[in-house]
Amino acid sequence: MKKTVFIFVLSLVIISIFANQTEIIFEEAINSYHDKDYQTALENFSLIENEGIINADLYYNIGNCYFRINEVGRAILYFKKALKVESDHKAARRNLDYALTFTKDKQDSENENVIRSFWQKAFDVLSINLLAIISLFIFVLIIMLICFMIIHYRNREKTVPIFITTVLIFLFLAFLIISLLKWQEFHKTDEAVLLSISAIGYSGPGEDFTRVFTIHEGMIFTIERDEENWSLIKLENGLGGWIKKDTYVRIEL
Amino acid sequence: MKKIIFVLGLLLTVQFLLSQEIEVESYVDKTKIGISDLIKYTIEISGEKVGNISTPRLPKIENFENLGSSTSSSSSYSIVNGKMTSKATKSFTYSLRPKKIGNHLIPPITIKIKHKSFTTDPIHIKVSEGTTQPAPPTSSSFTQQSNSSLDLSDNLFLIADISKKNVFEEEPIIVEYKLYSRYDIANLAFAGDTNFEGFWKEDVFKPESINFKRETYNGIMYNVMLMRSVALFPTKSGKLNIPSLDLNVDIRTQSHSFFDFGTTKRYNIKNKPAAINVRPIPQNNKPSSYSNAVGKFKLSSNISQTKLNVGDSFTYTITISGTGNLKQFDIPKLKEVNNLRFLDPEITTNINKNKISGKKTIKYLIIAQEKGNYTLPAVPFTFFDTSSGSYKTLQTKPYQLEVGEGSLTFIASSSAQSIVSKEGSDIGFIITDGVLTSKSIYYDKFFYWFIWFIILLLIPASVLYSNERIKLKGNIDYIRQKKANKILKKYMKEASAFAAQDDPGFYAAAQLGLSSYLADKLKEPRGSSTEDIISKMKLRSIPEDLLEKIKTLFNTCDQARFMPGGFSKERIETDFQLIKETINEIMKCKF
Repeated sequence: MKKTVFIFVLSLVIISIFANQTEIIFEEAINSYHDKDYQTALENFSLIENEGIINADLYYNIGNCYFRINEVGRAILYFKKALKVESDHKAARRNLDYALTFTKDKQDSENENVIRSFWQKAFDVLSINLLAIISLFIFVLIIMLICFMIIHYRNREKTVPIFITTVLIFLFLAFLIISLLKWQEFHKTDEAVLLSISAIGYSGPGEDFTRVFTIHEGMIFTIERDEENWSLIKLENGLGGWIKKDTYVRIEL
Repeated sequence: MKKIIFVLGLLLTVQFLLSQEIEVESYVDKTKIGISDLIKYTIEISGEKVGNISTPRLPKIENFENLGSSTSSSSSYSIVNGKMTSKATKSFTYSLRPKKIGNHLIPPITIKIKHKSFTTDPIHIKVSEGTTQPAPPTSSSFTQQSNSSLDLSDNLFLIADISKKNVFEEEPIIVEYKLYSRYDIANLAFAGDTNFEGFWKEDVFKPESINFKRETYNGIMYNVMLMRSVALFPTKSGKLNIPSLDLNVDIRTQSHSFFDFGTTKRYNIKNKPAAINVRPIPQNNKPSSYSNAVGKFKLSSNISQTKLNVGDSFTYTITISGTGNLKQFDIPKLKEVNNLRFLDPEITTNINKNKISGKKTIKYLIIAQEKGNYTLPAVPFTFFDTSSGSYKTLQTKPYQLEVGEGSLTFIASSSAQSIVSKEGSDIGFIITDGVLTSKSIYYDKFFYWFIWFIILLLIPASVLYSNERIKLKGNIDYIRQKKANKILKKYMKEASAFAAQDDPGFYAAAQLGLSSYLADKLKEPRGSSTEDIISKMKLRSIPEDLLEKIKTLFNTCDQARFMPGGFSKERIETDFQLIKETINEIMKCKF
């Protein structure tokens, strides 16, 4: 008994010390950034990242550091990561849009279609955890209504509660579908950012094939298939081609 | 009296003048004839009262022989504003035969009508060898002739009447296209668009219906129609061609018999090309204030008030009127005056019907912003005067302004406001107060789904609960058993209240409570006798001593209630304690 308590206390102390440590590193990184020592700031932020912390603000700060030391590709990667964690992270969205204007290839992060962009916005505003809470809440309401009906409405007219329950179920299903999409988006790892200065897309996995396109640092694309050192990618505009694996990094947490 | 005479006299003069409206015209049917042809020389007198004019005697005309005359007359009446006017026309047609070949002249002839003499225009006649074609069929009011081959160009032609042939650049001219005809015209149409190259064009007149007037031209009477009138502003210098108008004219031929309605024949006619000479505007000595205005203009200015307070506004109007390119030139420039704010001017251009003259009004709204005395300087306006061929500068009057202290110091300056413009762009600053909690996805957590599972369990739980309740509802004995404790408590409360007051009611309450409680517990009907209860209890596994206690308790109660003298105040306390103990023991038992 005494032993478990001791271990528990010890682990608490370690966690608090550890948390303190990261906070100190974070402070240092911010001070370095203030002093325009972006390299040090980046190193410190990366230390925190390596602790396994998944945090949009942290990614955003790392992206900013990379942008300051003129690594636009990595900056875009980290802004994308921040948006992946928090799709409604406004600062990250703004910086991503700005950083994208520095790439050689023109690409729009937002779709120009009004309906799609509206949908995208609604999709972004609802964070995945908010969706989880909302769907749980609706689920509780439905279950409570069903229980209420079972207990109190056994031999009575049930039209109103059934109607309400049906509406709630539809709402619930809608939220569940959005959640599923969101969850898929969160866990998908097929998006990537090109980090090397340029990459050539071939029609097959090898340099002997026909050149299809040339893309430059900061390009965002999706990966469709891997084959040894080559990946089949698809660009936003629909172009597809094989590029070398070591030229890009996947946007994953 | 004198007044009346004056008015009467005036009226009479007017009447006299009106009746004197007589017109005399002379014309021939053709101006080119052969030596053996006749010409018809017509003198036409029209007016209100010409009915009784006798045939004027033709004086002797050199080289022509008068073969005789005929008279025709027509009259028309019209009612305008309720007043009837009549107009009569009397034509005297003389047949003249030329005597010699050559160019002859029918001299002006003076005719005296009502003591007033009228003189006709002279007419040139060219007499050649042989005969020319007979006169063409003119519209029915003219002579009646069959349609033989026609000398078209003499009887149907288009003339471009140009107001000025020698102009400066931008100086407007007016071109009138007139159709002269001696035929009966059935229809008219423009054959194509006319392209006025080298000119800025303004339409002055375009006919909407066929509308002919009678007019003599070179001594011959024609039906004349104004086809088009344009104001042209030359945009370059040199020799510029005035384009020809292209017309399709349908001429109705004369009918031969009653059932012949005549046929129409289409002719395409154009006017002879004409040209004007456009001189460039001299470039040397050009004043800096030249506004590109060409023509003849007058300048005037006006100010709404000269004494005002800060914040007040006034209007300053410059008017340019005259003939020339009113639409094209620049407005005179105003010099900025400190502490006076000029709003953008309101410019209105009124062009007269002839398209070349009019008025341009420039209205400034000016707001006084500071106290003080100011001078609105004279505004120069320079134009090129086409009549003298030189530049002319006109000046407006300078105005003195007195601005007094006003109540309004600040003036809303909506027109001076500008949208904040972007001066640079950069990425946003880092987040310094971020909470470094690692993001966890609830959907990926076991605990989240565990909550779902727990909530889901509520459904079977509620089903069970509901079933249980239904089961119990149908079983009265069960309810009695459940409620027995409550009833006992109620009676015991009563009993304790009686006990506190040493009231004999205590025994009754205690006995009733105890017996009801036991009856409910044993599922026996209420009000069963004490013996019944005891015997039923014996069947259950109830300890003997407890049974004994209950029996004595009931006996005590019976004694106290029904036996005289069985009740004593001293015993209540002990009996109450006894009952309490017994009940406690009963509670512990299982029935």
